[in-house]
Amino acid sequence: MGEIKSKKTSGTTGEDPIDAVPGVITTTSGAISNFLKKTKAQDLINWGRKNSLWFMTQPMGCCGVEMIAMGCAHYDTDRFGIIPRNSPRQADVMLISGYVTKKYLPALKRLWDQMPAPKWVLCLGDCSISGGPFYESYSTVQNIDEIFPIDVFVPGCPPRPEAMLQGFVELQEKIKAKKDLGTEY
Amino acid sequence: MDARTIIESLTGKFPEIISETEIESEIRVRAHTDRAMAKEVCQYLKDSLQFGHLCSICGVDYPKRNEMEVVYHIASYDHPVVLTLKAVLSRDSPEIESVVPVYWNANWYERETYELYGIVFKNHPDLRPLLLPEEMLGEWPLRKDYEGFPNKTARNLV
Ligand code: SF4
Repeated sequence: MGEIKSKKTSGTTGEDPIDAVPGVITTTSGAISNFLKKTKAQDLINWGRKNSLWFMTQPMGCCGVEMIAMGCAHYDTDRFGIIPRNSPRQADVMLISGYVTKKYLPALKRLWDQMPAPKWVLCLGDCSISGGPFYESYSTVQNIDEIFPIDVFVPGCPPRPEAMLQGFVELQEKIKAKKDLGTEY
Repeated sequence: MDARTIIESLTGKFPEIISETEIESEIRVRAHTDRAMAKEVCQYLKDSLQFGHLCSICGVDYPKRNEMEVVYHIASYDHPVVLTLKAVLSRDSPEIESVVPVYWNANWYERETYELYGIVFKNHPDLRPLLLPEEMLGEWPLRKDYEGFPNKTARNLV
Protein backbone atom coordinates (compact mmCIF):
# COMPACT_ATOMS: atom_id res chain seq x y z
CA MET A 1 0.00 0.00 0.00
CA GLY A 2 1.02 3.51 -0.61
CA GLU A 3 3.66 3.46 -3.32
CA ILE A 4 3.33 5.38 -6.51
CA LYS A 5 3.21 3.30 -9.64
CA SER A 6 4.03 4.96 -12.89
CA LYS A 7 4.00 3.24 -16.23
CA LYS A 8 5.78 4.15 -19.38
CA THR A 9 3.96 4.18 -22.67
CA SER A 10 5.99 1.53 -24.37
CA GLY A 11 6.97 -1.92 -23.30
CA THR A 12 3.93 -2.79 -21.14
CA THR A 13 2.59 -6.30 -21.25
CA GLY A 14 -0.86 -5.00 -20.43
CA GLU A 15 -2.15 -7.24 -17.65
CA ASP A 16 -4.25 -4.49 -16.09
CA PRO A 17 -6.32 -2.22 -18.33
CA ILE A 18 -5.61 0.85 -16.19
CA ASP A 19 -1.90 0.20 -16.28
CA ALA A 20 -2.10 0.05 -20.01
CA VAL A 21 -3.36 3.62 -20.39
CA PRO A 22 -0.38 5.68 -21.49
CA GLY A 23 0.90 8.40 -19.16
CA VAL A 24 -1.45 7.60 -16.25
CA ILE A 25 -0.07 7.51 -12.72
CA THR A 26 -2.11 5.40 -10.29
CA THR A 27 -1.74 5.89 -6.61
CA THR A 28 -3.52 5.45 -3.32
CA SER A 29 -4.62 8.13 -0.91
CA GLY A 30 -2.00 6.90 1.55
CA ALA A 31 0.75 7.86 -0.82
CA ILE A 32 -0.58 11.37 -1.18
CA SER A 33 -0.85 11.93 2.54
CA ASN A 34 2.56 10.36 3.12
CA PHE A 35 3.99 12.77 0.61
CA LEU A 36 2.19 15.73 2.12
CA LYS A 37 3.52 14.93 5.58
CA LYS A 38 7.01 15.79 4.40
CA THR A 39 5.98 19.22 3.18
CA LYS A 40 4.85 22.47 4.73
CA ALA A 41 1.34 21.77 3.47
CA GLN A 42 0.83 19.48 6.46
CA ASP A 43 1.15 22.45 8.78
CA LEU A 44 -1.67 24.14 6.96
CA ILE A 45 -3.79 21.00 7.06
CA ASN A 46 -3.17 20.57 10.78
CA TRP A 47 -4.06 24.19 11.37
CA GLY A 48 -7.38 23.55 9.71
CA ARG A 49 -7.96 20.32 11.55
CA LYS A 50 -7.16 21.66 14.97
CA ASN A 51 -9.59 24.51 14.54
CA SER A 52 -12.54 22.36 13.59
CA LEU A 53 -12.61 19.55 16.15
CA TRP A 54 -16.20 18.43 15.98
CA PHE A 55 -17.05 16.03 18.74
CA MET A 56 -19.67 13.35 18.93
CA THR A 57 -22.43 13.91 21.50
CA GLN A 58 -22.45 10.51 23.05
CA PRO A 59 -22.81 10.82 26.81
CA MET A 60 -22.10 7.59 28.67
CA GLY A 61 -22.09 8.39 32.36
CA CYS A 62 -22.55 11.32 34.69
CA CYS A 63 -19.56 12.97 32.96
CA GLY A 64 -21.71 13.11 29.87
CA VAL A 65 -23.86 15.75 31.53
CA GLU A 66 -20.81 17.96 31.97
CA MET A 67 -19.87 17.26 28.39
CA ILE A 68 -23.25 18.56 27.23
CA ALA A 69 -22.85 21.61 29.47
CA MET A 70 -19.50 22.20 27.82
CA GLY A 71 -21.07 22.19 24.39
CA CYS A 72 -23.81 24.64 25.37
CA ALA A 73 -23.71 28.42 25.29
CA HIS A 74 -22.34 29.06 28.76
CA TYR A 75 -18.92 27.54 28.14
CA ASP A 76 -19.21 28.07 24.41
CA THR A 77 -16.88 25.65 22.71
CA ASP A 78 -17.74 27.24 19.38
CA ARG A 79 -15.08 29.87 19.87
CA PHE A 80 -12.47 27.13 19.46
CA GLY A 81 -14.27 25.61 16.50
CA ILE A 82 -15.45 22.71 18.65
CA ILE A 83 -19.01 21.87 17.71
CA PRO A 84 -21.16 18.99 18.95
CA ARG A 85 -22.37 16.63 16.25
CA ASN A 86 -25.00 13.98 16.56
CA SER A 87 -23.65 11.58 13.98
CA PRO A 88 -20.36 9.71 14.22
CA ARG A 89 -19.92 10.20 10.48
CA GLN A 90 -19.62 13.95 10.92
CA ALA A 91 -17.40 13.85 14.00
CA ASP A 92 -13.64 14.12 14.45
CA VAL A 93 -13.38 13.55 18.19
CA MET A 94 -14.88 10.85 20.33
CA LEU A 95 -15.22 11.64 24.02
CA ILE A 96 -15.27 8.64 26.32
CA SER A 97 -17.35 10.35 28.95
CA GLY A 98 -17.92 7.91 31.73
CA TYR A 99 -17.78 4.26 32.63
CA VAL A 100 -17.49 1.80 29.76
CA THR A 101 -19.47 -1.27 30.66
CA LYS A 102 -18.80 -4.64 29.13
CA LYS A 103 -22.17 -4.49 27.47
CA TYR A 104 -21.57 -1.06 25.95
CA LEU A 105 -18.06 -1.67 24.64
CA PRO A 106 -19.14 -3.31 21.33
CA ALA A 107 -21.42 -0.37 20.57
CA LEU A 108 -18.64 2.09 21.39
CA LYS A 109 -16.22 0.26 19.09
CA ARG A 110 -18.80 0.38 16.37
CA LEU A 111 -19.27 4.14 16.74
CA TRP A 112 -15.50 4.54 16.59
CA ASP A 113 -15.33 2.51 13.39
CA GLN A 114 -18.00 4.67 11.82
CA MET A 115 -16.01 7.86 12.31
CA PRO A 116 -13.93 8.90 9.32
CA ALA A 117 -10.19 9.39 9.83
CA PRO A 118 -8.43 11.44 11.07
CA LYS A 119 -10.09 10.96 14.43
CA TRP A 120 -9.09 11.53 18.02
CA VAL A 121 -10.22 10.22 21.40
CA LEU A 122 -10.42 12.11 24.66
CA CYS A 123 -10.86 10.32 27.97
CA LEU A 124 -13.04 12.28 30.37
CA GLY A 125 -13.35 11.39 34.00
CA ASP A 126 -11.82 8.86 36.34
CA CYS A 127 -14.16 6.13 35.21
CA SER A 128 -12.90 6.01 31.68
CA ILE A 129 -9.26 6.43 32.72
CA SER A 130 -9.02 3.72 35.34
CA GLY A 131 -12.49 2.67 36.46
CA GLY A 132 -12.90 5.46 38.99
CA PRO A 133 -15.51 4.68 41.62
CA PHE A 134 -16.27 1.47 39.73
CA TYR A 135 -12.68 0.29 39.59
CA GLU A 136 -13.45 -3.10 41.09
CA SER A 137 -16.77 -3.67 39.41
CA TYR A 138 -17.63 -6.88 37.65
CA SER A 139 -19.19 -5.07 34.72
CA THR A 140 -16.83 -2.23 33.75
CA VAL A 141 -13.92 -2.34 31.34
CA GLN A 142 -10.57 -1.29 32.81
CA ASN A 143 -7.66 0.33 30.97
CA ILE A 144 -9.53 1.67 28.01
CA ASP A 145 -6.26 2.93 26.52
CA GLU A 146 -5.51 -0.59 25.34
CA ILE A 147 -8.53 -0.39 23.07
CA PHE A 148 -8.54 3.17 21.72
CA PRO A 149 -5.58 5.46 20.88
CA ILE A 150 -6.21 8.10 23.52
CA ASP A 151 -4.57 11.48 23.14
CA VAL A 152 -5.64 13.38 26.24
CA PHE A 153 -6.81 12.23 29.66
CA VAL A 154 -8.91 14.68 31.65
CA PRO A 155 -9.17 13.48 35.26
CA GLY A 156 -11.90 14.48 37.67
CA CYS A 157 -15.16 13.08 38.88
CA PRO A 158 -16.60 14.71 36.88
CA PRO A 159 -14.09 17.15 35.39
CA ARG A 160 -15.44 20.65 35.17
CA PRO A 161 -16.36 21.90 31.72
CA GLU A 162 -13.38 24.24 31.86
CA ALA A 163 -11.13 21.24 32.41
CA MET A 164 -12.65 19.51 29.42
CA LEU A 165 -12.05 22.63 27.34
CA GLN A 166 -8.47 22.58 28.56
CA GLY A 167 -8.27 19.01 27.33
CA PHE A 168 -9.39 20.12 23.91
CA VAL A 169 -6.81 22.91 23.89
CA GLU A 170 -4.13 20.35 24.78
CA LEU A 171 -5.31 18.21 21.88
CA GLN A 172 -5.03 21.20 19.57
CA GLU A 173 -1.48 21.75 20.76
CA LYS A 174 -0.67 18.11 20.09
CA ILE A 175 -2.10 18.27 16.60
CA LYS A 176 -0.14 21.43 15.92
CA ALA A 177 3.05 19.79 17.14
CA LYS A 178 2.26 16.62 15.13
CA LYS A 179 2.51 14.54 18.31
CA ASP A 180 -1.05 13.22 18.32
CA LEU A 181 -2.03 9.61 17.83
CA GLY A 182 -5.26 10.26 15.97
CA THR A 183 -3.88 11.52 12.66
CA GLU A 184 -1.98 8.31 12.10
CA TYR A 185 -4.93 6.17 12.97
CA MET B 1 -56.14 -3.26 57.89
CA ASP B 2 -53.25 -3.30 60.34
CA ALA B 3 -50.16 -5.43 60.70
CA ARG B 4 -51.66 -7.92 63.17
CA THR B 5 -54.72 -8.69 61.06
CA ILE B 6 -52.55 -9.24 58.03
CA ILE B 7 -50.29 -11.74 59.77
CA GLU B 8 -53.25 -13.54 61.34
CA SER B 9 -55.06 -13.77 58.03
CA LEU B 10 -51.94 -15.05 56.30
CA THR B 11 -51.15 -17.73 58.87
CA GLY B 12 -54.81 -18.69 59.07
CA LYS B 13 -55.00 -19.30 55.35
CA PHE B 14 -51.59 -21.03 54.98
CA PRO B 15 -50.76 -22.58 58.37
CA GLU B 16 -48.22 -25.05 56.96
CA ILE B 17 -46.51 -22.71 54.57
CA ILE B 18 -46.02 -19.40 56.35
CA SER B 19 -43.44 -19.45 59.13
CA GLU B 20 -41.25 -17.13 61.17
CA THR B 21 -43.65 -14.24 61.04
CA GLU B 22 -42.70 -11.10 62.84
CA ILE B 23 -44.32 -7.71 63.32
CA GLU B 24 -41.39 -5.32 63.28
CA SER B 25 -43.48 -2.21 63.61
CA GLU B 26 -46.93 -1.00 62.71
CA ILE B 27 -46.04 -0.73 59.08
CA ARG B 28 -43.43 -3.43 58.59
CA VAL B 29 -44.11 -7.16 58.79
CA ARG B 30 -41.99 -10.12 57.79
CA ALA B 31 -42.79 -13.71 56.86
CA HIS B 32 -41.11 -16.77 55.40
CA THR B 33 -42.92 -18.82 52.85
CA ASP B 34 -42.39 -22.26 51.48
CA ARG B 35 -40.76 -21.99 48.07
CA ALA B 36 -43.26 -24.20 46.29
CA MET B 37 -46.19 -22.00 47.25
CA ALA B 38 -44.73 -18.51 46.78
CA LYS B 39 -46.96 -17.74 43.84
CA GLU B 40 -50.13 -18.82 45.62
CA VAL B 41 -49.23 -16.73 48.66
CA CYS B 42 -48.71 -13.71 46.41
CA GLN B 43 -52.04 -14.35 44.73
CA TYR B 44 -53.78 -14.43 48.11
CA LEU B 45 -51.99 -11.26 49.22
CA LYS B 46 -53.10 -9.46 46.10
CA ASP B 47 -56.69 -10.69 46.01
CA SER B 48 -57.65 -10.67 49.69
CA LEU B 49 -55.21 -8.47 51.58
CA GLN B 50 -55.01 -5.49 49.17
CA PHE B 51 -51.27 -5.93 48.54
CA GLY B 52 -51.39 -4.52 45.04
CA HIS B 53 -47.85 -3.24 44.62
CA LEU B 54 -44.72 -5.35 44.29
CA CYS B 55 -41.82 -3.03 45.19
CA SER B 56 -38.87 -5.29 44.48
CA ILE B 57 -37.52 -8.79 44.18
CA CYS B 58 -33.95 -9.51 45.12
CA GLY B 59 -31.72 -12.40 46.06
CA VAL B 60 -29.48 -13.11 49.02
CA ASP B 61 -26.63 -15.60 49.02
CA TYR B 62 -25.68 -17.60 52.13
CA PRO B 63 -22.77 -19.82 51.12
CA LYS B 64 -22.14 -21.10 54.68
CA ARG B 65 -25.69 -22.37 55.04
CA ASN B 66 -25.67 -23.49 51.40
CA GLU B 67 -28.85 -21.56 50.89
CA MET B 68 -30.22 -18.71 48.84
CA GLU B 69 -33.14 -16.48 49.54
CA VAL B 70 -35.53 -14.63 47.32
CA VAL B 71 -36.94 -11.56 49.03
CA TYR B 72 -40.15 -9.93 47.89
CA HIS B 73 -41.14 -6.51 49.18
CA ILE B 74 -44.86 -6.08 48.74
CA ALA B 75 -46.80 -2.93 49.61
CA SER B 76 -50.31 -1.69 49.23
CA TYR B 77 -52.17 1.31 47.90
CA ASP B 78 -54.88 0.99 50.56
CA HIS B 79 -53.04 0.49 53.85
CA PRO B 80 -49.55 1.46 55.06
CA VAL B 81 -48.16 -2.02 55.77
CA VAL B 82 -45.14 -3.26 53.81
CA LEU B 83 -44.57 -7.02 53.82
CA THR B 84 -41.15 -8.62 53.43
CA LEU B 85 -41.74 -12.10 52.10
CA LYS B 86 -38.82 -14.51 51.97
CA ALA B 87 -38.42 -17.88 50.31
CA VAL B 88 -35.42 -20.09 51.06
CA LEU B 89 -33.92 -22.09 48.18
CA SER B 90 -31.17 -24.63 48.05
CA ARG B 91 -27.94 -23.21 46.70
CA ASP B 92 -27.21 -26.16 44.43
CA SER B 93 -30.32 -25.76 42.31
CA PRO B 94 -32.02 -22.46 43.11
CA GLU B 95 -35.44 -22.60 41.48
CA ILE B 96 -38.71 -20.93 42.28
CA GLU B 97 -42.02 -20.36 40.56
CA SER B 98 -42.29 -17.00 38.79
CA VAL B 99 -44.81 -14.48 40.14
CA VAL B 100 -45.26 -12.69 36.82
CA PRO B 101 -48.86 -13.98 36.45
CA VAL B 102 -49.69 -12.21 39.73
CA TYR B 103 -47.58 -9.06 39.53
CA TRP B 104 -46.71 -8.17 35.93
CA ASN B 105 -43.83 -5.89 36.97
CA ALA B 106 -41.99 -8.87 38.46
CA ASN B 107 -40.79 -9.61 34.92
CA TRP B 108 -37.68 -7.42 34.96
CA TYR B 109 -36.97 -7.96 38.67
CA GLU B 110 -36.82 -11.68 38.08
CA ARG B 111 -34.64 -11.31 35.02
CA GLU B 112 -32.19 -9.22 37.03
CA THR B 113 -32.18 -11.61 39.98
CA TYR B 114 -31.57 -14.41 37.51
CA GLU B 115 -28.56 -12.80 35.83
CA LEU B 116 -26.92 -11.71 39.08
CA TYR B 117 -27.57 -14.77 41.28
CA GLY B 118 -28.50 -17.55 38.91
CA ILE B 119 -31.87 -18.10 40.55
CA VAL B 120 -34.11 -19.70 37.94
CA PHE B 121 -37.70 -18.50 37.83
CA LYS B 122 -39.81 -21.30 36.42
CA ASN B 123 -42.50 -20.40 33.86
CA HIS B 124 -41.12 -16.90 33.41
CA PRO B 125 -42.26 -15.60 30.00
CA ASP B 126 -38.82 -14.43 28.84
CA LEU B 127 -35.93 -15.32 31.15
CA ARG B 128 -32.82 -13.74 29.64
CA PRO B 129 -30.27 -11.25 31.03
CA LEU B 130 -31.52 -7.72 31.54
CA LEU B 131 -28.44 -5.57 32.12
CA LEU B 132 -25.41 -7.82 31.76
CA PRO B 133 -24.07 -8.93 28.39
CA GLU B 134 -24.97 -12.44 27.28
CA GLU B 135 -21.34 -13.59 27.67
CA MET B 136 -21.44 -12.99 31.41
CA LEU B 137 -24.33 -15.38 31.90
CA GLY B 138 -23.21 -18.13 34.23
CA GLU B 139 -20.76 -16.00 36.21
CA TRP B 140 -23.45 -14.86 38.70
CA PRO B 141 -21.49 -11.80 39.87
CA LEU B 142 -23.44 -11.05 43.06
CA ARG B 143 -22.83 -14.46 44.58
CA LYS B 144 -20.41 -14.30 47.48
CA ASP B 145 -17.92 -16.67 45.88
CA TYR B 146 -17.61 -14.64 42.66
CA GLU B 147 -13.96 -14.24 41.73
CA GLY B 148 -13.98 -12.30 38.50
CA PHE B 149 -13.29 -8.80 39.84
CA PRO B 150 -10.60 -6.95 37.92
CA ASN B 151 -7.43 -6.33 39.88
CA LYS B 152 -5.32 -4.55 37.29
CA THR B 153 -6.30 -0.94 37.19
CA ALA B 154 -4.81 2.52 37.07
CA ARG B 155 -1.73 1.00 35.50
CA ASN B 156 -1.22 3.97 33.23
CA LEU B 157 -1.21 6.44 36.09
CA VAL B 158 1.45 5.02 38.42
S1 SF4 C 1 -15.81 9.87 36.61
FE1 SF4 C 1 -17.36 10.37 38.16
S2 SF4 C 1 -18.75 11.80 37.13
FE2 SF4 C 1 -17.56 10.75 35.54
S3 SF4 C 1 -18.81 8.99 34.91
FE3 SF4 C 1 -17.41 8.30 36.51
S4 SF4 C 1 -18.59 8.50 38.42
FE4 SF4 C 1 -19.62 9.73 36.86
